[in-house]
Amino acid sequence: MPKPTADWERLDQGYYRKVQLYTSVFDQDLDLENHHVVGAPYSGAVAIYRKEENLHLYRGIQSAKPTIDLYSCAGKLLRRINWDKGSIKGLGWSEDEKLLVVTEDGTVRVYYGLQGDFIPFSLGHGAEEHGVKSCRFYSSGFVALLGNNHLVTVSRYDEPRPKILATPPSEPVISWNIISPAYSLSRSVEVLLAIGETIHVVDATESEDRMLQNGPFKHLGVSPNGKYIAMYTDDGKVWVVTSDFQNKLSEYDSNTAMSPKDLQWCGNDAVVLSWEDEVHLVGPNGSAIKYFYDDFVHLISDVDGVRLLTSDVCEFLQKVPNASQEVFRLTSDTVPSKLLDAAEHLEKKSPKADDIIQQIRSNLDEAVDICMRAAGHEYSIHWQKALLRAASFGKSVLDLYNSDDYVDMCETLRVLNGVRFYAIGIPLSYEQYRRLTPEKLVERLTNRHEYLLALKISQYLRLPTDSIYVHWASQKVRASSEDEESICRIIVKRLEDKNGVSFEKIARAAYDEGRARLATELLNYEPRAGKQVPLLLSMKEDTIALDKAIESGDTDLIFYVLLHLKKKLPLASFFRIINPRPVASALVESSALHNDTELLKDLYYQDDRRIEGANLLVSEALAQPTVVAQIDKLKLSSKLLSDSKNQQFQVKAINETQQLLRTQDALEKELDGSSFIGKSVNETVLSLVKNGHSKRAAKVMSDFKVPEKTQWWLRLRGLVQARYWTELEEMSKTKKSPIGWEPFFNALLAAGNTRLAGTFIPKCTSLSVGERIDMWVKCGMIKQAGEEALKAKDMAALESLRAKATGTGATEIERLINQLKQGRR
Amino acid sequence: MAPHAAIGSSDIAEKARRSLLQLLEGVRGKKNLVLEKALAGPINLLVKVSTLQEYGVEKIFFLENHNLNSSQRNVVFLARGENSKIVLEIAAQIKKLRQESQTDHEFFIFWIPRRTLVSDQLLEAEGVLGETSIFEYPLHFMPLADDVLSLELEDAFGDLYLRKDPKSVFLSAKALMLLQQQHGLFPRITGKGDNAKRLADLLLRMRQELSAGEDNADVGNSFLGLTPSSSIESLIIIDRESDFATPLMTQLTYEGLLDEVFTIQSNQTEIDTSIIGPAPGSQQQQGSQSAAAPQGLKRKIQLDQKDPLYSTLVDANFATVGPILNTVARRLQASYDSKQIANKGISELKDFVAKLPGFQSEQGSLKLHTSLAEEVKKYTMAEQFSRSLEVQQNIAAGADPSSQHETIEELIARALPLPTVLRLLCLESVMSAGIKAKELDAFKRDIIHAYGPQHILTLSALEKIGLLTVRGGPLGGGASAKPGSTTNFNTARKHLKLIVDEVNESTPEDVAYVYSGYAPLSVRLVQCILQKSVVAGLAEKRGVSASTLGLSTGWKPFEDAVKQVRGVAFDEVQRGEEKAVRARQILNGSAGAEGKTVVVFYLGGICRAEIAALRFVGKKLREEGKGRRLVICTTGIVSGDGIIKSAVEEGKFEVK
Repeated sequence: MPKPTADWERLDQGYYRKVQLYTSVFDQDLDLENHHVVGAPYSGAVAIYRKEENLHLYRGIQSAKPTIDLYSCAGKLLRRINWDKGSIKGLGWSEDEKLLVVTEDGTVRVYYGLQGDFIPFSLGHGAEEHGVKSCRFYSSGFVALLGNNHLVTVSRYDEPRPKILATPPSEPVISWNIISPAYSLSRSVEVLLAIGETIHVVDATESEDRMLQNGPFKHLGVSPNGKYIAMYTDDGKVWVVTSDFQNKLSEYDSNTAMSPKDLQWCGNDAVVLSWEDEVHLVGPNGSAIKYFYDDFVHLISDVDGVRLLTSDVCEFLQKVPNASQEVFRLTSDTVPSKLLDAAEHLEKKSPKADDIIQQIRSNLDEAVDICMRAAGHEYSIHWQKALLRAASFGKSVLDLYNSDDYVDMCETLRVLNGVRFYAIGIPLSYEQYRRLTPEKLVERLTNRHEYLLALKISQYLRLPTDSIYVHWASQKVRASSEDEESICRIIVKRLEDKNGVSFEKIARAAYDEGRARLATELLNYEPRAGKQVPLLLSMKEDTIALDKAIESGDTDLIFYVLLHLKKKLPLASFFRIINPRPVASALVESSALHNDTELLKDLYYQDDRRIEGANLLVSEALAQPTVVAQIDKLKLSSKLLSDSKNQQFQVKAINETQQLLRTQDALEKELDGSSFIGKSVNETVLSLVKNGHSKRAAKVMSDFKVPEKTQWWLRLRGLVQARYWTELEEMSKTKKSPIGWEPFFNALLAAGNTRLAGTFIPKCTSLSVGERIDMWVKCGMIKQAGEEALKAKDMAALESLRAKATGTGATEIERLINQLKQGRR
Repeated sequence: MAPHAAIGSSDIAEKARRSLLQLLEGVRGKKNLVLEKALAGPINLLVKVSTLQEYGVEKIFFLENHNLNSSQRNVVFLARGENSKIVLEIAAQIKKLRQESQTDHEFFIFWIPRRTLVSDQLLEAEGVLGETSIFEYPLHFMPLADDVLSLELEDAFGDLYLRKDPKSVFLSAKALMLLQQQHGLFPRITGKGDNAKRLADLLLRMRQELSAGEDNADVGNSFLGLTPSSSIESLIIIDRESDFATPLMTQLTYEGLLDEVFTIQSNQTEIDTSIIGPAPGSQQQQGSQSAAAPQGLKRKIQLDQKDPLYSTLVDANFATVGPILNTVARRLQASYDSKQIANKGISELKDFVAKLPGFQSEQGSLKLHTSLAEEVKKYTMAEQFSRSLEVQQNIAAGADPSSQHETIEELIARALPLPTVLRLLCLESVMSAGIKAKELDAFKRDIIHAYGPQHILTLSALEKIGLLTVRGGPLGGGASAKPGSTTNFNTARKHLKLIVDEVNESTPEDVAYVYSGYAPLSVRLVQCILQKSVVAGLAEKRGVSASTLGLSTGWKPFEDAVKQVRGVAFDEVQRGEEKAVRARQILNGSAGAEGKTVVVFYLGGICRAEIAALRFVGKKLREEGKGRRLVICTTGIVSGDGIIKSAVEEGKFEVK
């Protein structure tokens, strides 16, 4: 086994290694030079499309048709997409392996799941007139450069909303690149445009000139963490600056007149330049390594390195991870490397193993960690094993060690080795795997129809397996030529005991394939009522859809179905459907209340719900602008109810309302400048009393049969509010009041007229002496209070009055007390 | 998999706060925020305006005010997605702004608590879906206090009982489901009322769907998360419909009365500055323009239960508030006086100075609550108040309702606020199984005469809710009615002892203290489940030994009494997969019932007096050594006036 350091090369302070991943990748006939090659992040699929501008060898009709071919990194053809949709100006991948194809006219096609199916959307913002020139992609979106230098960005593909960025200068763009939102300071995408000698930075709000003088820049590259920018100048130099353009970090002279084909970052510390068959790896401080190839090299940048792709090999160029350096560096005398050494001795049954262990005992736990991590970064299974064995050995010597990480690493390596296998062709590095997450890896395997491996990995890592089954079944539904019944049987049998399988998705696949009966049958197995609804609607199973929506209890869903049905069905059948379903009709009612009273009227009519219908007319009457119109609506309303026996009260109330409106209208005409409409009967009376129209008030009261007590109250309130003291005094001379005299006292007291209030006290005969004394006191008439007490011969009350009294009141009370005392004697 | 954590209201608030700020951060640059009015309170509870400004919010508009302007390029709408009226309103404002403004605006909508299919469809039909970026802001429960979580659905009562729209049931189920996902299944769900049953069914259904759903991948501790909780003992669901009466009564706790007098929304209330004086910070500003300052200036007050003074007052019967304030005032005075003696050592002085800020804040709060209490006192001393309270208590005690009619007629003639009068009528109708047809018609006529013909609709709505019924009518019930179709207060009063004659307000012995003698029916129902021996003792139920009481679960042994209350009673046990349950048990050790939480959910709203009563129950449970903690969840806080207002017709006849 060669030492792992065999492919290491030193660059400045660090080491870089070029790992050969696969050989004989592509068909030798494929001239990669004339193709665009774009790879998905995290060692995903590679899309290859023949350059339109280059001439190419005629190879017969078959290959003349343009296609976009999707390959695995190992060169396995995953899918061939026939292309006849125009000139491609942007080809790229999203993080979740969606292929984006942008054509010159601004149409974007999103090919999902490595299938031939796509979802199109249009860029707009003038893309059609000016044409798309080129695109730059990041994990979840992209930016398109239009012919007029406008920039249009899309930040998500599930709901694409193309947005235009600030307008940059219109001079020709030499090269450009983007800083993805995840790494830009503003948290939204930033675009770097090399225009003339300088670079413009454009975001949503502004376009700013960075005032550089070293241009024109032929290539711009942004490091994966967004912190650094590499620029290739016209005179063959590479400059690396921080992304705020404040610090220049390094400069490298390529000494080549020809500008490179491509410039990519390799991790965050080095830049890779590629000419047709020559690759320079440029590190900090102008250091560089050169690699030479036999044929054309394409660079595919990834988060932690660069994949180099020729038609013959696929290689991965990356900085050697720290852990691996610790263990393997030639001169290294580190603890982890000693641990590895010790493990080798142990293998050979040499006692030296123990000597070494004792030597490094103090740092052993750290060494175990590092060996373990180094194993993760190793591609060779031999060295993975060796390192894990070393870690395991070190672990066994330690008294206390949490093995969770170790177990995790073993599992991870099994998975990684599994997917790196050439037939699968996903050469994930450990770092990439961590970032991709196991769930997404399973998804990628599923998209490649590697169901067995996906299932095995999911079970191994205890991940949910339902989506794999769903994908499998959907595929089966689409592709199988068997009859529908047996397909259904096969699928159900396979998935019966699996938790969480969404039959709805499978049913939708069947429906989309035109197998409606199969879809219905499959849908019956879906446990979630709500999920079935949209498909049922598209299958035109309206009533079932409504029932399922109601079953789910989700009001939004019910309402959604109802909206759909209302649009589609004639009113009568719509009502027929909702009638027997109280929840549905309640929802229709409550939503129609504020925006569709006509519908509501029809509904009430259909159901013979007269009270509701009449009430609806009353509320319409409220909204009418004139009295005539209001009365008309009220008439309609009472007519609606006139037939029904037990609505006498309602009819009377509505009729009385008309009478009130007429009366008020007449009053308004009679009494210029006063307004009555909108007031109640009592309020009308009150207002009349207040303004001294007591006759008119009396008429209104008798017209509307206001009860006597209420009449008195209204008169009292009106007179007090208007301060008509004489009238009140007049009333006090009446013998009897149906509401008693106490309210008069209270109202006058509250109005501040204590004198008048006092006149009512003697009339309150039903009250106790004590209460009357209090009333006098409240009016400030201590003397009268005293007399009241005297009359009742209440000494205690008098005494307490004495305490309260002052001035003449006090002497008065004193006199009364004496009087009472004498009386007693 | 960690053991289930207890429900913590501060965690919920913090999470909601963070996700809102995250959403706002996602909108680059400055933005105008447009809020649905009903959300202003809840949002204000979560984040301060100054924080919003830090996150680029320049101006805040209310959706209902139609005054959105084009001062910012970014416009963010924050609204509830369930309401199609709101959706259409947003669409209209987007269209208007797009037409009128020169700027190329960017629109964002944050839907609470979820993005709905209907909102998408409506926006699409209005032609604005394509140009707005839509996000979800999953705000469900708002913590109003440590033990109170509210969905703050303002219209829940009207939706449920007037319009029969079950959306709040669904939203409640969603919110409770989230609690279950975090804290484990409620091991037992007990409840009363038809809507409550619907909610429980939805919970069971959602659980099934969840375990069958693909969603569980993102729940994290998916399949083990749905085992019965180790920290929650049970969920009790009470349907407001079972007990309409309680909120109709005037609440007599401090917070309850504050709500009655000033109305509290999301722990905030607006109070005239003539009562409490201007805000301390704004004094200088006020100084310059004090001459112009109008009388009716309102000041927003945050009623914070973290304030130690308020937390002692909040649930106290108002009769005891005066003495409490008095003691606090004297204590403060004393601590000032004693410390101000000049010849003090430096270190003592330092201690004193260190405590000063605490004193000051306490003093401020004392000042505030003294003024508030004074104002409430004024309100309660008014003659109208005592008249209507008298009527309420007579009706509650089961006196012949017609003896109260004269007073009610008088109150109508005197034009007391409509809600006050309607509360009395509805209370009578609810408590005495309807009002006689002739009398009811007379009252209706009086109401229409006194308050205006538009209230024909108000009365109809109250009848539809079931708050006003004809005795012996189709909804009235009476003796012949089937048990469970309406609440029979005559038997409930007897079997559940709703009326307690001797109430000690300062050291209460029974929940009845919150209404000075009437024990809320809904709380008695909760007690039937949690405090069986107490209820049995009150109702003098013989032949039931303490040991059988201790063992019985659910509604036992009070099924008969509970049957007389409107709506179905149910009792469900949620079990998990056996394997998972055992795993959970091993993880948690043998934790007993100590420290477990009981979640009480009021569907359709809870009033503050009931919260006070439930807290009292919780306190008693703790004293009994059962160590249970009550967490109160609800669709929103209601008051009698609020309930009535959901039915009141706002429009009136006018010439336009």
